[in-house]
Amino acid sequence: MPTIVSDNTHYKDEFRRKNSKPLLWIAMVSIVMFFGGVTSAVIVSQGGGGFIAIPMPIEFTISTIVILVSSLVFHYGFIAIKKGNYNLAKMSVLITLILGLFFVLTQYLGWVSLHDNGFYLAGKESTQESSFLYLITGLHVVHLIGGLLSLIVVLIKTFKKKYNAEDTVGMQVSLTYWHFLGGLWIYLFFFLRYSIA
Amino acid sequence: MSTHQHHTKDFLFTYVFSTDHKMIAKQFLITGFLMGFVGLIMSTLFRLQLGWPGQSFEMIELFMGSWQEDGVMAPDKYLSLVTMHGTIMVFFLLTAGLSGTFSNLLIPLQIGARDMASGVLNMLSYWFFFISSVIMLCSLFVEGGAASAGWTIYPPLSALPQAIPGSGAGMTLWLISMSIFIMSSLIGSLNYIVTILNMRTKGMSMTRLPLTIWAFFLTAILGVLSFPVLLAAALLLVFDRSFGTSFYLSDIYIGGQVLDHTGGSPILFEHLFWFLGHPEVYIVLLPALGITSEVISSMTRKPIFGYRAMIGSMMAIAFLSFIVWGHHMFLTGMNPFLGSVFTFTTLLIAIPSAVKVFNYLTTLWKGNIKFTPATLFSIGLVSTFITGGVTGLILGNNALDINVHDTYFVIGHFHIVMGLSAIFGMFAGVYHWFPKLFGRMINNKLGSMHFWITIVSSYGVFFPMHFLGLAGVPRRYYTWSEFPMFENMIDINELISVFAIAAMIGQLIFFFNFVYSAFRGPKAPMNPWKANTLEWTSPVEHFHGNWYGEIPEVYRWPYDYSKVDKNGDFIYGEDFIPQTTPLGENEKDGGAH
Repeated sequence: MPTIVSDNTHYKDEFRRKNSKPLLWIAMVSIVMFFGGVTSAVIVSQGGGGFIAIPMPIEFTISTIVILVSSLVFHYGFIAIKKGNYNLAKMSVLITLILGLFFVLTQYLGWVSLHDNGFYLAGKESTQESSFLYLITGLHVVHLIGGLLSLIVVLIKTFKKKYNAEDTVGMQVSLTYWHFLGGLWIYLFFFLRYSIA
Repeated sequence: MSTHQHHTKDFLFTYVFSTDHKMIAKQFLITGFLMGFVGLIMSTLFRLQLGWPGQSFEMIELFMGSWQEDGVMAPDKYLSLVTMHGTIMVFFLLTAGLSGTFSNLLIPLQIGARDMASGVLNMLSYWFFFISSVIMLCSLFVEGGAASAGWTIYPPLSALPQAIPGSGAGMTLWLISMSIFIMSSLIGSLNYIVTILNMRTKGMSMTRLPLTIWAFFLTAILGVLSFPVLLAAALLLVFDRSFGTSFYLSDIYIGGQVLDHTGGSPILFEHLFWFLGHPEVYIVLLPALGITSEVISSMTRKPIFGYRAMIGSMMAIAFLSFIVWGHHMFLTGMNPFLGSVFTFTTLLIAIPSAVKVFNYLTTLWKGNIKFTPATLFSIGLVSTFITGGVTGLILGNNALDINVHDTYFVIGHFHIVMGLSAIFGMFAGVYHWFPKLFGRMINNKLGSMHFWITIVSSYGVFFPMHFLGLAGVPRRYYTWSEFPMFENMIDINELISVFAIAAMIGQLIFFFNFVYSAFRGPKAPMNPWKANTLEWTSPVEHFHGNWYGEIPEVYRWPYDYSKVDKNGDFIYGEDFIPQTTPLGENEKDGGAH
């Protein structure tokens, strides 16, 4: 009897491998709906008329390039792990993390630029358009911080050689989420350019 | 046994931070019921004010303090009570309490899995729910009181503390609590979807799933798609309230002051809110419908009539629920043509609902019915769903709604479908799966008493409201004894309040029965209802992994009740054939077409 009972508790690893990616996919659907809600709010507010165009800071264009490059780098690292090349993988994940932090920096500089040009998040001088611009980019950064945390975990695990050709689920989860954040940024960037800029 | 040796050491992880779905189900149930009890007391209190306006109830002042100064309820506290009652009942009892309990209990057991896809996320889902409940209750005690703008918290009322005291700290805590609640719901839904898709046992195809699982699956999908939009709405409201943005606010002159906000629109909030709000009521209802399918089928010893039609209807309801939200906004000045589009989609949703009712009735017809409290509540759900559903047809018509919007007609409608149908589904589930939850049988006599008191008094509360609504009595009003045009309604209000008190007392019988039976009820056998689904093949005692040894394999659909052979005798000699019984020679799987 004891051995049969203890067998029942060894399913945790199998569950992790089988379920991590589907869980992430559904979570990403939720996040899409969240940004869908916020971007619909922009469209409905625009319908009320009177949106004054805000020039998009050049820093956001740099953000776009940075995040796209980081996705390529991370993916390259993933392919390296599958081939067993740990050193290349470590470098790739580290560079992705640095590029991710650089993305956050460019976002911050973009906000500074907006502020300097008289566009504010809130308050008497702010407009709906400016509030939305800060809010939408800010919410993306909040979700990106989750991505950065997952990158740190992946980096540590790569250093500890926890991944191998058979089991890269943890890295795949982080990679998929990182690509998702990049794709989401592309959508938001062009949406904001079209509706507010 | 190794698990028993660790029992006392791991008290915290066995009972508090458990990752076992059965324990988490019980946690959701208890917390949901406790919150529901708070909501029930709130409704009884404000019904005292509505039935006997301005009358002094000094006894209540003992409990309510300044909320009931000189024994009379303060008007702004009345508004807090109706707001909190709605919020607690819709979200904390009927969403988390209903979905959280039964999805957690039944999904792994009925699909044949050791546990949910992620035990840790499941545990977090419960604890976020618990924390959000605590914060919501804390909001009652802040200066200014709890949120008071109705459970729908429309700005500008909810955005401006100057507008009503509850829109100060109380509203802020409401928003924090709901944000955490939404996280809880999303994490839970993730788990349910992935578990159902990924973790079914051998032979358990999607068309061999019990209808409870289909219901929980579609509910979870609704949640994943709609709750994030409420989060967006709430976030924008937080910014308007606390940071001076103008998403929802514009051109406001209040208390002699012109506010800075320009450009916003409250209608934006309504769109975002109701985009969740409508799917939300189906999130509340679908699990109850799923539970009813299961209870009616096993208690009439007949296969559910139209299994695939039931799945199709639930899918249709789920899909359509996303394109009807405008029927909550008919009076916002929308273009009548747009109104007619929403009317069309709203009327469409009546069709799959009617299919389900028809199927319940045909399943019951000529069935060998075993009348347990679960059966009574399931049949009660069918009754109340018809009653509540038909008034939905009137409310869903953009022309007719002009007369009844924001009146007691609406309150009658949604209470009958949610406060009766959905809660009846929850009660049916609790009575039916009580042996699975607690390993003991709940008392049937007290259960029947609970049912009859509840259905009679609840109909007594909500049926007269339709007449009040048609006469024009507005909702959320503190009193209408001030209005001569409603003078002849006072007696109806008194009657409603009397029934409300009776209904409340009926629930006390249930709470007593529940607690007593959980500890002292007769021990339950493994399959007390002689039902087919997999949860009844799992031993009565709870342990991680649900089955000793291998997970059972499934060979047939779950509705082989009273299946007879060519001679008219029961196949295998019983009126039920569990899913784990292999198909006999020449025997066809009932679920296959």
